Amino acid sequence: MKKKMKWRKWNNILHRDLGYLAFGLTVVYAISGLAVNHMHDWNPNYKVVRTSVMLGPVADDAAQVTLGQASELAKKIDPEAAVKSIYPLNQETLQLFLADGRSVTIEVRNGRGEVEKVSRRVGLQEMNFLHLNTPRKLWTYMADLYALVLLLLAFTGIFVIKGKKGIKGRGAWLVSIGVMIPLLFLWAYF
Amino acid sequence: MNAKWFKLLVVSIVLLGCNQNNEVSEIAGKEYGNPLELKETVKVSALLATPDVYLGKKVQVEGKILDVCKMRGCWIEIAGDEPYQKIKVKVDDGVIVFPMDAKGKTARAEGELYKVELTVEEARKYMQHRAEEYGEKFDPETVTEPMVFYQIKGSGAVVMN
Repeated sequence: MKKKMKWRKWNNILHRDLGYLAFGLTVVYAISGLAVNHMHDWNPNYKVVRTSVMLGPVADDAAQVTLGQASELAKKIDPEAAVKSIYPLNQETLQLFLADGRSVTIEVRNGRGEVEKVSRRVGLQEMNFLHLNTPRKLWTYMADLYALVLLLLAFTGIFVIKGKKGIKGRGAWLVSIGVMIPLLFLWAYF
Repeated sequence: MNAKWFKLLVVSIVLLGCNQNNEVSEIAGKEYGNPLELKETVKVSALLATPDVYLGKKVQVEGKILDVCKMRGCWIEIAGDEPYQKIKVKVDDGVIVFPMDAKGKTARAEGELYKVELTVEEARKYMQHRAEEYGEKFDPETVTEPMVFYQIKGSGAVVMN
């Protein structure tokens, strides 16, 4: 009896301390998880704002537009805008790259344009960077270690409480439901 | 200058003009993926004019970044040396991630040139996906023919600031 209590005590200490250690990474992975899970509906790393503009006919062929003309066009959008470079995507479409990072796509024959401004989602981009293992290198091993910690948290977690609310009672039902959830989705979609 | 030397000079100039490979110097910028290995770039115009010459081979191109994959940064489109030309450098998802703010910057990228051949049905799905990326409307009925295009399977790149 004494030996059993000692085992549970160490289980709970391990669960508690690993939980403290995993807090920061769990927050990062959870927030980023929500963000990248909806990648098809929004961009988790960048905020992209597109604005329509009407500049009037510019030329018949985008390749004929000079950098000087492009600068004049950019001034119509924003008097402060400076054009870094231009490129004719096709005969009808010219792309302007502004010094402040914005880009403008102009249909040269009718002057219809779209200004695109891209800005970083500060904080979230860093979390996604880690979550998706973009840095690789040592971070790969750190993420592996975190996965092992999560496994340990899962297993030690089910033995924290004994009695009716432990794994032999209420816990058994809840763990069963938790195991059934992925199996159910696999049955439905796989 | 006698006639013999003059002819030699003319032939040399013509040959130099035909050479589509340009020796390149080291460049500074942010590196993505594997370090660049090739010492010469190929003009995009040359790649697109005679793709069969380069098919399956590792090539290096340089040019302005016209667009970046908005979802995962898994491709960049590099402008050609002539108007209306561009080539897509596609990388494995998550292995290399190009930042969206690289648009408008100059990149030097290398990888293997490959051919993409799509049936009408595949082309419709491809164009549908592309339209979704750009948030544009797309009518699948507008695609009536199979598509063939060339891409570079990117292994590494340097984006200059």
